[in-house]
Amino acid sequence: MQNVSSNSAPPLAIAAKSLTKSYAGVRALRSGSLELLPGEVHALIGENGAGKSTLTKIITGAIQPDSGELEIFGQRITENDPNRSRSLGVAAIYQQPAIFPHLTVAENICMPLEREKSSITVDWRSRKQRAKELIQSIGANIDPDRLAGTLSMAEQQVVEIAKAIGAKARILLMDEPTALLSERETEKLFALVKRLRSEGVAIIYISHRLEEILTLADRITVLRDGETIACCNACDVDRAKLIELMVGRSIESVFPKRSVVPGEVAIEVKGLNNPEVGLHDISFSVRKGEIFGLAGLVGSGRTELARTLFGITPVHTTITLHGRKITIGSPAQAIANGLGYLPEDRRQHGVILDMSIASNITLASLNEVAKRGLLDSTLEQSVAEGYRTSLRIKAPATDTVAGALSGGNQQKVALARWLAIKPGIMILDEPTQGVDVGSKSEIHELIVEFAERGMAVILISSELPEVLGMSDRIGIFHNGTIVATLNREEATQQKVMSLAFGHEVEA
Amino acid sequence: MKAYARELAVAATILLVLALLATTTHGFFTVDNLSDLFLANVPVLIVSLGMTLIILTGQIDISVGSVFAVCSIVTGVAARAGLPVLVAMLIASVVGALLGSFNGALVAWMRMPSIVVTLASMVAIRDGLRWQTQGAWVGDLPGSFQRFGLSQTIYTVLMLVIAALLVVVFIVGLRYFRGGRNIFATGSNEAAARILGIDTNRVLFSVFAITGLLTGFSAALNAVRFNQIPSNSGIGLELKTIAAVAVGGATITGGSGTIAGTVLGVVLLGIIGPALTFLGVSAYWERAIQGLIILAAVSVNVLSHYRRRQVSHA
Amino acid sequence: MLKRLHISAAEVALVAALVLECIYFSVAAPSFATWGNIFEIVRFSVELGLLVIALTPILITGGIDLSVGSAIGMTAVLFGTMWHDGHLPIAACVGLSLLLGLAAGGLNALLIAGLRLPPLIVTLGTFSLYRGIAEGITHGAVSFTGYSAGFLHLGQGYFWKLIPVQLPILIVVLAAYAVLLHKSVIGRSIYAIGFNAEGARYAGIPVRKRLALLYVLSGVIASLAAIIYVAHLGLAKSDLGTGYELQAITAVVVGGVSVFGGRGTLLGSMLGLFFLSVLQNGMHLMALPSELTGVLIGVLLLAIVAVDRLRSTGAFGVTAGGVSLWKRPAFAGAVLIAVGVLGTLLFQAAGHRNGAAAAGHRLTIAVMPKAKGDPYFISARAGAEEAAKELGVDLIWDGPTSLDASQQNELVENWITRGVDAIVVAVENKGSISTVLRKARAHGIAVLTWDADAELNARDYFLNQATPVGIANALTDEGARLLPNGGQFAIVTGALSAENQNEWIADIKKRVASDHPNLQLATIQPSDDDRDKAFNQTQVILKAYPQVKLVVAISAPAVPGAAEAVAQAGRADVKVIGLSLPSICRTYLHDGSVQTIFLWNTQDLGYLTVYAGALKAEKKIPAGAKNVHVGRLGNLEISGSEIILGKPLLIDKNNVDSLHF
Repeated sequence: MQNVSSNSAPPLAIAAKSLTKSYAGVRALRSGSLELLPGEVHALIGENGAGKSTLTKIITGAIQPDSGELEIFGQRITENDPNRSRSLGVAAIYQQPAIFPHLTVAENICMPLEREKSSITVDWRSRKQRAKELIQSIGANIDPDRLAGTLSMAEQQVVEIAKAIGAKARILLMDEPTALLSERETEKLFALVKRLRSEGVAIIYISHRLEEILTLADRITVLRDGETIACCNACDVDRAKLIELMVGRSIESVFPKRSVVPGEVAIEVKGLNNPEVGLHDISFSVRKGEIFGLAGLVGSGRTELARTLFGITPVHTTITLHGRKITIGSPAQAIANGLGYLPEDRRQHGVILDMSIASNITLASLNEVAKRGLLDSTLEQSVAEGYRTSLRIKAPATDTVAGALSGGNQQKVALARWLAIKPGIMILDEPTQGVDVGSKSEIHELIVEFAERGMAVILISSELPEVLGMSDRIGIFHNGTIVATLNREEATQQKVMSLAFGHEVEA
Repeated sequence: MKAYARELAVAATILLVLALLATTTHGFFTVDNLSDLFLANVPVLIVSLGMTLIILTGQIDISVGSVFAVCSIVTGVAARAGLPVLVAMLIASVVGALLGSFNGALVAWMRMPSIVVTLASMVAIRDGLRWQTQGAWVGDLPGSFQRFGLSQTIYTVLMLVIAALLVVVFIVGLRYFRGGRNIFATGSNEAAARILGIDTNRVLFSVFAITGLLTGFSAALNAVRFNQIPSNSGIGLELKTIAAVAVGGATITGGSGTIAGTVLGVVLLGIIGPALTFLGVSAYWERAIQGLIILAAVSVNVLSHYRRRQVSHA
Repeated sequence: MLKRLHISAAEVALVAALVLECIYFSVAAPSFATWGNIFEIVRFSVELGLLVIALTPILITGGIDLSVGSAIGMTAVLFGTMWHDGHLPIAACVGLSLLLGLAAGGLNALLIAGLRLPPLIVTLGTFSLYRGIAEGITHGAVSFTGYSAGFLHLGQGYFWKLIPVQLPILIVVLAAYAVLLHKSVIGRSIYAIGFNAEGARYAGIPVRKRLALLYVLSGVIASLAAIIYVAHLGLAKSDLGTGYELQAITAVVVGGVSVFGGRGTLLGSMLGLFFLSVLQNGMHLMALPSELTGVLIGVLLLAIVAVDRLRSTGAFGVTAGGVSLWKRPAFAGAVLIAVGVLGTLLFQAAGHRNGAAAAGHRLTIAVMPKAKGDPYFISARAGAEEAAKELGVDLIWDGPTSLDASQQNELVENWITRGVDAIVVAVENKGSISTVLRKARAHGIAVLTWDADAELNARDYFLNQATPVGIANALTDEGARLLPNGGQFAIVTGALSAENQNEWIADIKKRVASDHPNLQLATIQPSDDDRDKAFNQTQVILKAYPQVKLVVAISAPAVPGAAEAVAQAGRADVKVIGLSLPSICRTYLHDGSVQTIFLWNTQDLGYLTVYAGALKAEKKIPAGAKNVHVGRLGNLEISGSEIILGKPLLIDKNNVDSLHF
């Protein structure tokens, strides 16, 4: 493939020096530098707002830097654009796959591959053939005639990778590729990444999951406040060191210690079925002050359970809340019964980006800040102000729009919304996903605080250490039902994983 | 087959109406009547082709009726000035394309909502034309103007060829040409289309310009059927075309829809009025029935979708 | 400060624009700045204002309701039916009408919130459906009049002789909606839905219930508007409210509501509405043509949205959803510049218009056709201009751009405010215009009617060109002459709801029954005054009713349409007669596809409008006079309070070339 003569230094895949970029006067990137070698997995880490996405956008040509130098395979790039960077072999896979829901898988895969061709027509037969081959080459199996809108998130991710492979990418940029993948799918992805590396592809790997990075990456570049502050070999650093580099300080314990004696049963579910979303025969109970973790693969039914309990995909099964038997038919009913749900997709469901912090916080508890249906804006402000202070939401004022906040602070606003309903039971679906390290530990502390105040917490997380570290008990999902429940003491990473994969584990 | 459920449903409805006509009335299925119906719907059909593209990108154009009126008058004025009819038609098409481009430029590069842009141009163009013409008709056209001096039959065949050609061009263009696929991509996920390097602004601009061009062309084709041109033609054309596209199954939010569906939509809405006349239903109820058909067509799709989902989970 | 009052920069800009606009018209149109005129503007904005109020929250959710105008027509007609045929008390009619509005909104709500269909398509369907029901029930023809004075007071009366009675209703509804949208829990959830409907659902907001509420309310408000409209015009007709949906949406968008959802306020929408109403009123007072208003509104709409987009793209870099404060003055400035440019445009148009006005008092004669675009009225205008030139008077020639009784009222009101010397109106609807004409007479203005009459005490003279019965009889007799052995005939009319045509149809039916029993009316089809539609309808008639041997086309553009259809079908056995102009029928008369058309000399009629108006204004027609000298027309007979122009003119291929109109 690549013809690298032994006597000359291997050309860098990417050499970026002192790139800067400002948006309307705000420095997003002060001094972004990156050296990427062919055939390496190079992790790019940093807190949210550190400049990772700005740097990657410059590389893919989505935006132009204000100053600095960028070379791709030794070529000096002055005027970059998506077509140019693609023709140089750069391909990007984003966390939210950029798919066309109304078009078929074949077209989704092949359309970008045809961009360079001069032909103005489309050959459907060869498209289908090509798509099939590419999907098979990754060891997946998706019908190329399916509409992409009907695929699961993981399947969409597969389509994205097939696209990149089809493009014969020599530089592959992966932004949080595992965020929505199950463990098994993640393993497959890693195997694929390693294979690509061995074929000489340079991979930029962006993730918040440090464990992943430490096992996968060869080298790691750390960004902080728009500046590249370190580039180190993965074998030379550990988790603590990386966190220190990212936040500029060291964080003592990752998961807060806690000592809560669980109280009476807050929620009890017996034999819940929801065939619409593939749930069957689910039984569990959570006590006051208890954190009940839900582990399992993506698509195993955890989020579906949360949505069913919260009334978004309602069923007629009765559940027992604080000793009362009820059915929940809508989110409004769930809220009325003291059930809060922090959804998985923060930007779409968690907060309303265009609304102010205050409006977001009170949105689920409007009647609490209203008299006879009319809003009391003074009361609303003071409630919002209270949460801003207590949750340490970093924002100039409560009338700042939520969209202007960092991911971590948005997540705190979303949490505040559910605290404001004074819930007895709180379901947290991936509460720290895409959140920077600093906010992450703050959120962990908050969760513990909820439990200490007597809330029953159901914690869904795909990050095993988080589930293991935070939960009192862990329910493990497999194929739409809870196959086992483990106590904190008996739960280990291996046990949970093998249960999640459907293996029996001796008690 | 599932993909073409809507087209089949509309086709079935058309067949139902035709069957009703065949069993209870006389004279509907004569060559004369069918060719009259066809000619009456040629403008709607041609403009609907463009409207399909616009709706595929998730946009809308409610100014086509006004553009149609302007282009009709332009055709007449140009022909009366002594230009050959074909040149007059060309000028009308260009004027239509320019007006469409104006809408398209505002939608594409200014990112203005298309419904507002075209609402504004609908009102401004229509009233501007009234102001300029004071409602006067264009008459005194040269003898060669009407039907290019061709006979009725030859003209009809010519229209048939043009309409068929356009439909085929649009079907093939949308399916087998990258330009066509870019329209789908833009309507399905504009952000992703941009990442792919598709110039979505150009796509948006183009669909409006093409629709303008088609509107101008169809206005000219319609104008030459007569020997004088009224200044108020095309009223309600936007509603007819949008309804035809929607009945044909295109999603108003963009990304999905077919030319075949649109053609069927034009046919269904085009035969309803005459069918009611043939069936002896009072003309006063025609509009209500048109409304019901639009509502039924869009609801049936959703209801059948619900049923399918239930079946698949049973 | 502004922030505390919750008034955005966009609204400040609108207020500024409105103030500037008012200042401009106060200077340019002398009678603009009077309390009477200002309240008249408000009165004519009430029905539209109600729709604007109902549509604002719907657009804020990112939806749209195109059916409100049609809902007005449907409710008005059913209101009239209940009152007229059901003999129900007014209170019951009002209650049932509101219920009907509830049902109309309910259907939209069911399809949009229940089946989750796109609002644009749903309300496009109900737009046709509701108007169609109104037409179906009335057969377009019936218009219900004769309401009690108490009810009419609701739409035509005043408090303290100044404040229109319907204003408090508007204010109450506005206040209620303002509380709902801006103060209540529900209002907050409406904004949340507009920004992100899914996100709102996850916050426990019953999204579908809220949407359903808004569409149902929109139906109820539309029916309320319909009731006020009926009281205002004194009649209920199937075409009431035509085009109101687009006017209301225009006002809402001008008022700063984003069609993408989430942004906008009721204050902004109302400012948008009044900005447009004042523009329209001011232009009428300046005697600028109505079409210019449409052009200006279109340009203005584009300018406002363009400036708004420029502003938000400018702010885009800072925060995706945020708005940077420093851009706002720029926005306001840009809007003001746009307004300034428009003002200049207006000024130039005004200069062009009034250039002819010399110093000293000249009579101003205001003449109104039923609709400006109709070739019939256009040919009358030539005669009117001829008379104006001859007499040295100023002529204002303006009317609705399409048939619209309410716009006629509005224009007359504006002319009263402007202080013209004579008003000559081609009446679209007798019941609705008489009140305002009486008001004009009370102001000492000479009031004449032409083409169609108003109530007797509402005008000084009616310029009678021919009576409906006379026209219908002439047509029917001519038809009978052409079909000596009898047979079927078809009528191609204008719009289904056109009053003139419906009167002719009724008289034709009577004449057939009494004098020509061997003639049979096979079908009536509408042409909407569109030549192409008349053409298509006639083609279908010829196929569906092969026995039809005669087409009677009673709308000017319909005659050439019908003739072309007959000619293209090669049906030499089918005759075409009708009411039309020689100019557009000349070729068809010559080639024999049209046998006869009837008309009076429209140019003479136009000449008479101005001439008689001027005579009456100068009090030169003595009471009880048996005849009057009208310039080149010579002496015309006066019969009672009617000045008779002459009999309908029979036009055929022998005399058509001598007629030039």
